[in-house]
Amino acid sequence: MSLNVAQRRLLQEYRSLTNNPPEGITAGPISEDDLLHWECLIQGPEGTPFEGGVFPAELKFPNDYPHMPPSMKFLGDVFHPNVYPSGLVCISILHPPGDDPNHYETASERWSPIQSVEKILLSVMSMLAEPNDESPANVEAAKMWRERRSEYEARVKASVRASLGL
Amino acid sequence: MEVFSDEALNVTDSTDWLNTPLACLMPVEQAFRCHVCKDFYDSPMLTSCSHTFCSLCIRRCLSVDSKCPLCRATDQESKLRGNWALREAVEAFTKSRKALLEFAKVPPTVVAAPPDQNGSSSPPKRKATEMDGAKQEDQDIKRPRRSNRSTKTRAAQLTAAILEEEEDTNTTPSADADQDYVDQPPDDGLVACPICLTRMKVQQVDRHIDTSCPGSPEAAAALAAKRPTPQPIFPSLNSRLGQNAQTQNQKPPERLPALAYSMLRDTALRKKLSELGLSTHGSRQLLEKRHKEWITLWNANCDSSRPKKRSELLRDLDEWERTVGNPGASRIGMGMAMGGGMGVGQGPMARAQAAGAEIKDKEFDGKAWATKYGGSFGDLIKQARKGIKKQNLDGDEGNKKGEDGKEGGEKSSSPAELPTSQAREGEGESSSAAPPTPMEIVPPSSPPRPEQDEQQQTPGKARLLTEDTAMSGQVVPGTPEKGQWKTSSQQPPIAGDA
Repeated sequence: MSLNVAQRRLLQEYRSLTNNPPEGITAGPISEDDLLHWECLIQGPEGTPFEGGVFPAELKFPNDYPHMPPSMKFLGDVFHPNVYPSGLVCISILHPPGDDPNHYETASERWSPIQSVEKILLSVMSMLAEPNDESPANVEAAKMWRERRSEYEARVKASVRASLGL
Repeated sequence: MEVFSDEALNVTDSTDWLNTPLACLMPVEQAFRCHVCKDFYDSPMLTSCSHTFCSLCIRRCLSVDSKCPLCRATDQESKLRGNWALREAVEAFTKSRKALLEFAKVPPTVVAAPPDQNGSSSPPKRKATEMDGAKQEDQDIKRPRRSNRSTKTRAAQLTAAILEEEEDTNTTPSADADQDYVDQPPDDGLVACPICLTRMKVQQVDRHIDTSCPGSPEAAAALAAKRPTPQPIFPSLNSRLGQNAQTQNQKPPERLPALAYSMLRDTALRKKLSELGLSTHGSRQLLEKRHKEWITLWNANCDSSRPKKRSELLRDLDEWERTVGNPGASRIGMGMAMGGGMGVGQGPMARAQAAGAEIKDKEFDGKAWATKYGGSFGDLIKQARKGIKKQNLDGDEGNKKGEDGKEGGEKSSSPAELPTSQAREGEGESSSAAPPTPMEIVPPSSPPRPEQDEQQQTPGKARLLTEDTAMSGQVVPGTPEKGQWKTSSQQPPIAGDA
């Protein structure tokens, strides 16, 4: 059986990520049986409370990838305004094409088939550094980030240390 | 990568050039690749905003979003234009890619070897025979092409040697041919007709061209063979055009127009699909999606230089149906229509569909339905309770399969195994929801839709729910039994494709 569009493109991206790994990011399919299910590791960006942390996450791709975006979920605890308590990442690049019914995002920020796993993960890294508190996924984190920044940073640092087993 | 199949190994990427001496080819290759599929352009098409994508890629994008994926400018499929120059460039590049990459990956020891060793090593054998010692120097001076060899690296020398070798093998025969015609005119005091190259006296040429010139030399040969067919004046040009015309004749010429689905009734849409020879099964939404996908595949195929046959396109559509369109259900939809292998005719299917539509109707009379089918429901409850015992034994495995959301197998097998009346209702109910779920009938007294939706999202939870409803006297027909789960586990749809 031949590979379909989504599988072929994901293999292509995997090859690209293997040949030319971007800094701070590792990603690949969990098993050869299911190319639509990836696991990735993101390093916490330097100069942020996430610095030093390594955050595992899973990416699930739809069958009509790349026309529709994957979903991304952190597997560990990530206290962040744009990450749901379940770990699900809420970021505009992962939202399907078209305009946001809530008008938080313009179409230009949303998913487009020219995006890639690499771009998603880079966006998530920059999201970790600069939260967007306009449409928070984790209201508690958003409030704390806005009003008590030092407390937020302390909490994030503590969870990073805990995740590293320190 | 070696864990993947052969085809996976064939997946190439522009980053393959990294860590080779030809790393500068990475951006070149990137320019030959589509931004959507990241593969080499296949039938590249220009958008109104002057971006280029594969025909199929951009048509899919536009059908989803009506916007250029790169700049998000609004565009229409009908405005796409072929970028044939790029197509040729891509073709040329992909043809040479393998050889180039192999060359770039030659182990550095060979490249760094001293020249006299080079002469005896395997690749430049011809070089050794053709040019050795001082002769080589002479040729360097004579041929301006080779004077480009200003960089003194061994790699460059080797490149030149290999290029030369290729060139030699390529040019030798044609050079000979040239000599026959042009380079060495026989010294007979005659001149060649500029068209047919027949040799004659100078003063004869004008009259010859006006009256008896047959055209090209080949045509002259044809004339000599006593076949006086009228020849076009520039046959070589025409024959080239003719080749194109021929390929154009072979390709399916007519692009299909898009339909305004909102203006079409179900029956009209079904008629359109059957006119195209496509399956007419499935929900309205699926019918629209199927029709749209077919148009996309078909029209993209019209742009191709090597169009596929209709049967291949149908296979592509079937593949799409199995993975993207309606994963799991295609064995009922396309499978039945195309192979008819399930042993259940299309009659029950059609009736089931009608029943599905009926239930979905807002003014659906639940009580009447319950009375009418009360007997069947009763039977189904009994069957379900029996089934649940087995299911509990086999539950863990079942749940696992269910969570994958690919429950195609048990669905397709159930109609054949259930009594007809039950099968009918089961079909009706399940066809009202797009993705297939383990067969379940929810009696009309409770609203059927929400429960089904929930089941699609959380199969694990749905299993509990199914058991609850069964215990409270509600209906769960077609509860997957051991054998059936096995069927489904033998057909892991996506993974199996790889």
